[in-house]
Amino acid sequence: MLENLINVKNVSKKFRLYHEKRTTLYESITGSINRNPHYETLQVLDNVSFNVKKGESFGIVGRNGSGKTTLLRILSHIYQPDNGSVETNGTVIPVLALGLGFHPELTAIKNIYQSSILLGISKNEITEKIDDIIKFAGLEKFADTKIKNFSSGMSMRLAFATAVQVDPAVLLLDEVIAVGDINFQKKCLEVMMNFKKRGKSIVLVSHNPFDVERLCDRAMFLKDGRIESIGNVAKVLGSYENYMGKLKK
Amino acid sequence: MTTIREEMWKARGILFNFAITDLKIRYKNSVLGILWSVVEPLLMLGVLFVVFSTMFKTEIENFPIYLLLGLITYNFYKNGTNIALVSLSNRSSLITQIYFPRSIPAISSCVTASIMLIVELAILGIFMVVLEFTPPITIIYLIPIYFLGFVFIIGISLALSVLNVKFKDIGFIWGIVLHAGFFLTPIVYQFDFLPEYVQNILMLSPVVQLVTMTHHVAMYGTLPPINSILYTISSIFIILGIGYLIFRKYQARIVEEM
Repeated sequence: MLENLINVKNVSKKFRLYHEKRTTLYESITGSINRNPHYETLQVLDNVSFNVKKGESFGIVGRNGSGKTTLLRILSHIYQPDNGSVETNGTVIPVLALGLGFHPELTAIKNIYQSSILLGISKNEITEKIDDIIKFAGLEKFADTKIKNFSSGMSMRLAFATAVQVDPAVLLLDEVIAVGDINFQKKCLEVMMNFKKRGKSIVLVSHNPFDVERLCDRAMFLKDGRIESIGNVAKVLGSYENYMGKLKK
Repeated sequence: MTTIREEMWKARGILFNFAITDLKIRYKNSVLGILWSVVEPLLMLGVLFVVFSTMFKTEIENFPIYLLLGLITYNFYKNGTNIALVSLSNRSSLITQIYFPRSIPAISSCVTASIMLIVELAILGIFMVVLEFTPPITIIYLIPIYFLGFVFIIGISLALSVLNVKFKDIGFIWGIVLHAGFFLTPIVYQFDFLPEYVQNILMLSPVVQLVTMTHHVAMYGTLPPINSILYTISSIFIILGIGYLIFRKYQARIVEEM
């Protein structure tokens, strides 16, 4: 029962911050003759270790740029960590703040197909579920509208609805709840509770301490890529609020 | 082992999905829609056919068929690599949000080009009927020749797709290479017109080899010389290997460049 669905060990990730980004061959050739360093490295994640158990929901808080989204991308294998290891058990689906990789020129329905196939379900399965997805997202009128004409809230709803229907073992949510209106937020919370009951795990990134308190069993506070505190939700949120309060002054 | 198999199984659906989407997006917002995939090459080939068969006097036997065959074959390589070139960079939103094997867009571009090739070959068939040209039985050898061509463009496409994310000028360079390649390949002329030392240099190009082979089997009913076949196969697999190595070197960090 207490099987770990996610095991993160000593993960570190550096990014290159280019001062003058070399994107053309010419710049790359002249740049290699001119030996001045043209980038500095930014340690986005520094020796991060944690695990998420089956049926558990895990909250991550931290200010902007503290490495939360990078961590989610590493968990979903989009980025490779420089050091350390990430083990995941079962499908892990990220719903990042930008959607689910939707193509602006395709309609809602075609995008559901494309994303779900990428996430590993067969075409027939999606055809069975497609009405539920559209209904859950509340987009019955817009099923044949191109995504480029969607508002950011609408595409977020569509992304969340699609990810939930794929029914992954772990759902990674990045600031998802904040985007929808109140009714949709309520629906999201219901679904997430249900998800937990069925022994699935959720990793939730949020700026709203209230959401983390309500939903999460454990939490982690990331500060400049390091774990500042981890474990009990109230304790983690306490240190997070304390830190943010200090910043204000 | 199971994860590799699972990944390949997953990839199969994506491959097909991308190939179809590429075709559909190519003709988005058009009145004729997907019909353009037939009309476009038909008109294109028609124009070139009229221009070259009326304005230029040539001694090549069955010149219209010769021309169309060369054009279609060259188009296959051109389309495949051109679509692959932007296949990763145009999908930046997808790649930064969902994980899938990074080689899929390049390979699916070659599948798209193959679908376009089949349409164009059907049009060639129509021209053959209209011009009362009966192809020799050796025309069935076009299948292995185009299969070799498919392997060839996969090698190029894998490299181009990652390089174009890193260096934006690859697109311009590749456009010029394709232009030059068109005139360095016997499509609008016959190889015998060239001085022999030029021929010897050009024969190093697998594209020249492949186009010459299609002329052999689809028009003259002859088989290409065995050493030419061996050379083409080995050069294509070397290109595939190099393309894969370039791809492997860059693919892990490609998301961070998006």
